[in-house]
Amino acid sequence: MEEEAVDVSKGVDVSKGEAAKGEATLPGPREAGAGAAESPGEPLLVVEKLVKHFPVKGGFPIRRTVGAVQAVDGIDLTVHVGESFGLVGESGCGKSTTGRLITRLLEPTSGSISYRGRDIAHASRKQLAPIRSEIQMIFQDPYSSLNPRQTVGKIISGPMEINGIDPTGGREKRVRELLEIVGLNPEHYNRFPHEFSGGQRQRIGVARALALEPKLIVADEPVSALDVSIQAQVVNLLQQVQKDLGIAFLFIAHDLAIVRHFSQRVAVMYLGKIIEVGDRDSIYKRPRHPYTHALLSAVPEVTLDGGAEETGRERIRLAGDVPSPISPPSGCRFRTRCWKSQDKCATEEPPLVRLSGNRPHHLTACHFPEAPTTEAREEDIVLDPALTALEEGEG
Amino acid sequence: MTSPPKAEGGGTPVVGGEREPGKGPEGGQVEGRSPGRLMWIRFKRDRVGVVSAFVVGFFFLIGLLAPLISKVYGKDPFTVYADERPELFDSAGVPVQPNGGISGEFWFGLEPGNGYDVFTKLIYGIRTSLMISLTVTVAVVLTGIVLGVTAGYLGGKADFAIGRLIDFLLAIPAQLFFIASMPVVVSLFVSPRDETPTYVRVVALIAVQWLLGWMSLGRILRGATLSLREREFIEAARVSGATSERIIRKEILPNVVTPLLVQSTYLLPNFVTAEAALSFLGVGIVEPTPDWGQMFAKASTELVLQNDITYMFFPGVSMIIFVIAFNLLGDSVRDAFDPKSAR
Ligand SMILES: Nc1ncnc2c1ncn2[C@@H]1O[C@H](COP(=O)(O)OP(=O)(O)O)[C@@H](O)[C@H]1O
Ligand code: SF4
Ligand SMILES: [Mg+2]
Repeated sequence: MEEEAVDVSKGVDVSKGEAAKGEATLPGPREAGAGAAESPGEPLLVVEKLVKHFPVKGGFPIRRTVGAVQAVDGIDLTVHVGESFGLVGESGCGKSTTGRLITRLLEPTSGSISYRGRDIAHASRKQLAPIRSEIQMIFQDPYSSLNPRQTVGKIISGPMEINGIDPTGGREKRVRELLEIVGLNPEHYNRFPHEFSGGQRQRIGVARALALEPKLIVADEPVSALDVSIQAQVVNLLQQVQKDLGIAFLFIAHDLAIVRHFSQRVAVMYLGKIIEVGDRDSIYKRPRHPYTHALLSAVPEVTLDGGAEETGRERIRLAGDVPSPISPPSGCRFRTRCWKSQDKCATEEPPLVRLSGNRPHHLTACHFPEAPTTEAREEDIVLDPALTALEEGEG
Repeated sequence: MTSPPKAEGGGTPVVGGEREPGKGPEGGQVEGRSPGRLMWIRFKRDRVGVVSAFVVGFFFLIGLLAPLISKVYGKDPFTVYADERPELFDSAGVPVQPNGGISGEFWFGLEPGNGYDVFTKLIYGIRTSLMISLTVTVAVVLTGIVLGVTAGYLGGKADFAIGRLIDFLLAIPAQLFFIASMPVVVSLFVSPRDETPTYVRVVALIAVQWLLGWMSLGRILRGATLSLREREFIEAARVSGATSERIIRKEILPNVVTPLLVQSTYLLPNFVTAEAALSFLGVGIVEPTPDWGQMFAKASTELVLQNDITYMFFPGVSMIIFVIAFNLLGDSVRDAFDPKSAR
């Protein structure tokens, strides 16, 4: 596979919150997009100021809207042709909602989603029909994502049937090809989902997503429900698919470990907002936002032989859970768990901008950013009182 | 009754290990075993269920073949043997022979009064009862599917409206409603002075039982649909652009077959006994149309007047056998679908 030199400085307004594809400056070991029909680097999906609030009903005897879950609250992101974009954040911070908005399983409260220049934010099912085949989804739970009453053949050929696609040689032949592509036995065509293991089911889900030859796949935590030993295999499969077929991925994950091997660009989400976005190496080696530091310190550094490497990395433990998205903290939403928080953080929301010292297209939303390093600190940051007690007990 | 609808998913993986790109160890076996096939295999192993199924099938066969059987037997339930063969009855109209006149000619005896043949009356009665109950079941299942699945799938206002309708109908005391409303419903069709045709009574019986019979099934299907709607395979279909109609038909309905079948096997015997009760009380099917339940009315009078239990025996025993067999069948069907709930 050859690496393509792409001009990164295509005049993208950095302060707007979009980051251009930057893999040319940071050629990763697993570059993707070589086989794409379109030239890689063109924006495929542009999301701007995307908002999704779920109304909260309450009151008696007359039920009315008493508040809103601010699941997604104004995010901007761009996915380029053939690129893998990682979206990371703790559980409940709005990643799945973002994915569902982009696949239009949900209708956004406001903001725009434009796919190849076409705004699909409020398109109806009929209006979406032409691009339905281009945006597909891989789901988190392999046990709920396959209809138990349908054979593998029916499941995978379903999207073709719905869209009236008749591949040369027939749908069955195509399904068998797809089964082969995802590493399953084509003879399993007539089997039912309950006859497969979790990892195999997820492969069937991948085959279904590939059936329509999509340009973009939203993968919502595709391996987090799987056994750790199987996760790597499925990630490898996705990587293979992405590389060979040149499909752009929005890869959603709750930690930074998996995304690291998969995505050229990574966005970190917290409580409905993107708080840091940048090229992979920039995010992993030179993170600025305290939350990114915390997430990174939770990622075990796994070496090739599988052992955890105790390098001199910083250790940060966050206290408690993510605050409720019904009434998020004022100013910076991370301030209730941030060790650098000051008065300004409560009153003023930090904008997502390129900080001085950041590489191009590396944007951070923080008033008092950390140093761009993950070196060990003089003292570990442990904000959880219970954990502090535990560590002291051990020490 | 309200066993929560469970979707399949308890199966153990049988297709080899995780990595298995080539031919599996059992590469020759291509056909997969569907959840329905697995259910059938489990059901066949359940001896009680199989016997019950045969018993239930036997009753339906009798009902179906009643005209044929009575032709072979050479009698019909409408012949007034008190007039045809007066020598068989005493002056009070009671059969002369003991045990209600059981003989080689009249296998189950003769009814006092008009002297109808009990055997043909019973098989024709079973025919009437099962026909009515089966129709009610079909109507209830269709209504349950339409309203339950609609409420569960659409949610929101439709769900609210259907939910309140169910609450309202459940609050009506069913037995009382049946008894009170039957004459009213009948009078909608014919003036009280005229003779009521049998079909009007049949339609009325079906209508009142259907009206108050669908709610439990509707609720169960609503719940099943509601939980299915959250499943990711529905979202997968939607991402591919499937219409709601297709999603309901291809993704939801095949997955509610289990609760549907289980509930139906519990509902049908209930409708049989309810219909029998109405006919017993005189608001259902009346003479001379033969009916299972109405036979009890006659029998109970005789039990009191003659102290003779014969007339209660045949309809009573047959109905008890039928209801028990049907309920056992229902249990077996449920166990076969959901092996975890088995005793
Ligand atoms: N359909 C919904 N109705 C109401 N609240 C929802 C709905 N879907 C998600 N939420 C809420 O939105 C927030 C974000 O959820 P989600 O996008 O699933 O997070 P993640 O995938 O990052 O774990 C959560 O607080 C969740 O409870
Ligand atoms: S803005 Fe303030 S509270 Fe928010 S992350 Fe930065 S330092 Fe912490
Ligand atoms: Mg999620």
